[in-house]
Amino acid sequence: MSERKPKVVGFCCEKHGIDSAILAARSGRQYDASVRIIKVPCTGRVDGIHILQALEDGADSVFVLGCLEKNCHYDTGSIEGRKRVEYVKSTLADLGIEKERVEMFNASSTMAWKFPEIVSKMVDVARRLGPIGKAGGDR
Amino acid sequence: MKARIQVLACKACTEMPQLLDMDDLMNVASERELVVSSMLVDRVCDPKIIKRVVAEASERDVDRVLVLACQKKDVNPGLLAAYKRAGVNEFMVEYINLRDEVILPHISDKERAQAKAETKAVAGLERLLMLQPLEKAEEVMRTKNVVILGGGVAGRKAAEVAAAEGAHTIIIEKSGSSHKTPGVIMPNSTLLGAKGYGGNFVLSIKAGEKVEELECAAVVVATGGGWAELKGPLAKAFKSAVPLYRLHEQMQTGAVPKGPVVIVDSPDPAGKTLAVQDFAWDDTLELAIDLKKQQPLEEVYVVFQEMRAFGLSELAYKDAAELGVRFIRYDRAAGPKIDPKEPTKLTVKDLAQAEVLTIPIGTLAFAAIPANKDNIGIATALRIPMSPEGGVRRGSIQRWPVSTPRPGVFVCGSAMFPKSKDMAEAEGEAAGLMAGKFVMKGVIEYGGVVAEVAQEKCSACLTCVRTCPYDAPYIGSAGKVEIRIQACQGCGMCAGICPSKAIELRGSTDDQIAQETRTMLGGDF
Repeated sequence: MSERKPKVVGFCCEKHGIDSAILAARSGRQYDASVRIIKVPCTGRVDGIHILQALEDGADSVFVLGCLEKNCHYDTGSIEGRKRVEYVKSTLADLGIEKERVEMFNASSTMAWKFPEIVSKMVDVARRLGPIGKAGGDR
Repeated sequence: MKARIQVLACKACTEMPQLLDMDDLMNVASERELVVSSMLVDRVCDPKIIKRVVAEASERDVDRVLVLACQKKDVNPGLLAAYKRAGVNEFMVEYINLRDEVILPHISDKERAQAKAETKAVAGLERLLMLQPLEKAEEVMRTKNVVILGGGVAGRKAAEVAAAEGAHTIIIEKSGSSHKTPGVIMPNSTLLGAKGYGGNFVLSIKAGEKVEELECAAVVVATGGGWAELKGPLAKAFKSAVPLYRLHEQMQTGAVPKGPVVIVDSPDPAGKTLAVQDFAWDDTLELAIDLKKQQPLEEVYVVFQEMRAFGLSELAYKDAAELGVRFIRYDRAAGPKIDPKEPTKLTVKDLAQAEVLTIPIGTLAFAAIPANKDNIGIATALRIPMSPEGGVRRGSIQRWPVSTPRPGVFVCGSAMFPKSKDMAEAEGEAAGLMAGKFVMKGVIEYGGVVAEVAQEKCSACLTCVRTCPYDAPYIGSAGKVEIRIQACQGCGMCAGICPSKAIELRGSTDDQIAQETRTMLGGDF
C-alpha cells in the first residue's frame, strides 16, 4: 500500500496570500500537492468555525496565510486573522487536538520562497501527527 | 429556473496540456449535472474565441460560467465584458487558476496534479451553484471639492495638482496666512468632525467663530509636523542645528558635514524629553555609520536618553560601535546643554560613567521631531488610524503610499512623519493627483461583494462597528446593525468576527467556504 497522503488546507487571502503562492509557482518552485488552497477575500474573513470544520472534514493541518501585518490590503485584516487563529489554537487543547495543526502565516506578494516553506512545514506537521485522533495509537 | 453552466478551459500555455489530460478533465466537468456546454479552447484571451464562446453561451441560455485557466487578472477582461453583454452576471463567472495553483507547482507529479485539477473543477462547479447574481451600483458625487487640511508645502502642492485635474480645492489653514494657490483658502479654520464616506463627505469646519458645514468628495491631510523650525534651548544656542533627515539629504548630495557631528534626540522646550520615534533610532545608526565611513578621523557622538536597536538593527549598533561612534546616554533630569556664549561645546552627564562630559560640536542634528498635535483631532474626526509616533498612518505602502486606509482620504508630507520640504512637496503632488483623479471620476462605485446583515440575528453588540476599518457598519434606526454599502470594501472582517453570525459576505459566505473546503478535502491527491 502506498503511503497515506496528508491533507493540508490553506486559507489564503486574495491579495498577498494568493499572490505569494502564484509567484512561487511562477518562479519554478515546487511544493507538495496535498495542499488545498481556499481563497478568502481577507484573512479577517476566516472564522474559527471554518478552521474547525476543515479539521472535522479530514484535514490533518490547516494554515491561514495573510498579508504582512503592517502592510495588509485591508489595513487590519491579517491582524484580525491572527486573532481568530490564536483563538482556535487555544480551544484545540480542550478538544484533545494538537495545536500545531493550525498555524497563521504572513507573506508579501514578493516573497516567492515563503509559500513552499509554509507548505512543507504544514505537510511535515500532518505527516508527523497523522490523522486526528489516531496519532501513535495513544488515544 | 435551474442553473445552466458553461465550462470553459484554456490550453494556451505549454505546461497545461503536457501535464494534464485535458479531455479527462473536461469529461469530469461536463458529466456534472446542469453543465450544458463545455468548451476546450486554444486561447481564451483571443477576441475571436471569446466571440465564439459567448455566442455558444447565449445560444444555450447559460447563466453561470466556470473558467479553467489562469488567475482572473491575467485573463482578457474582454471575456467578462462579453459575458456581461450576453446577460451573464459578472459575479457568476468563476475563475479557477489551474496554471499557477496546480500545474506549475506540481510539474513532477502528473497523477496528483490531474486529481487535484479535477477536484478543483468540481469544487468550482459546486461553488457556482451557490452563487447569487450581484449588482454594482453607482452614486453620483455631489461636489467636486477636495478639502486640503493644511496650507504648507505639501498642501499647496496638492491643491495645485488637484486643481489641474479639474477639482475644486479648498485649503483649511489653521493660521491666518494665505498663499497664492488655486481654489479657496479658509484661514483661521479647523476641522471639527466628518460624516459620510469617500466621495460624499460632509465636514464640519470651524472658521473663525462660526461653524460651517462643507461638502466634499475627498480630503487630503497635509497638516505637517509639529515643528516647522527647530525649537528648544539647544536649537537656540546652536543656530545651525538641522533635523536628521536634512543631514542625511546633505550627505546624499555629497556635502561633508563640518567638524565633529553630534546627533541628539530632541529635548523639547518645556524641558521634558520627547518620545523618540521608532525610525529615529535606526536612521541615527545608519547615518552615524555612513559618517564614520566617510570620515574615519572625525568624531561622531550620539547623545540619546536611551538607545534602542531591535532585531537586525543590533548589528548596525555593533558596526557603529566598532567604527568608533560614541554613544552617550543621559538622564532625563539633566539633559544636554549648550552655553549660548560658547556654542561650540555641549555638556552632558553621561549615565554610564556618571561624569559630566564636554563635547565639541561641528554639526548638530536632531533625530526626533515631534508629530503635529492636531493629528489626534483630525484622525478622530475622519476616523483614520494613527501611527504610534502620533502621525497619520498610511495604508498598505505598496499599494497606496499617500492614502489612508479610508477611501477618499489621502495624506502627505510631515503629517505622517518628519520629512524634508522636497519630499513633502513630492508627496503633496502625489496626494493631489490621487485626490483629483478620485474626485473627477464623479461617481462612487459600490456594491457587488459587500457585507449583508440578517437583522433578526443581530444583537447590536457593536463588535463589527469596532472591527471594520472602513466604518461601514453602524447601528440603524431599528437598533440593529446596518451596512453603509458605499463604504464597504468587501473584506469580510465583520462577517468573520460577528458572534451572532448575523453578517454574511456576499460571494464568500460561510456555506460557500465550508462546501469548498469539504470538496477539496474529499479529493484523493
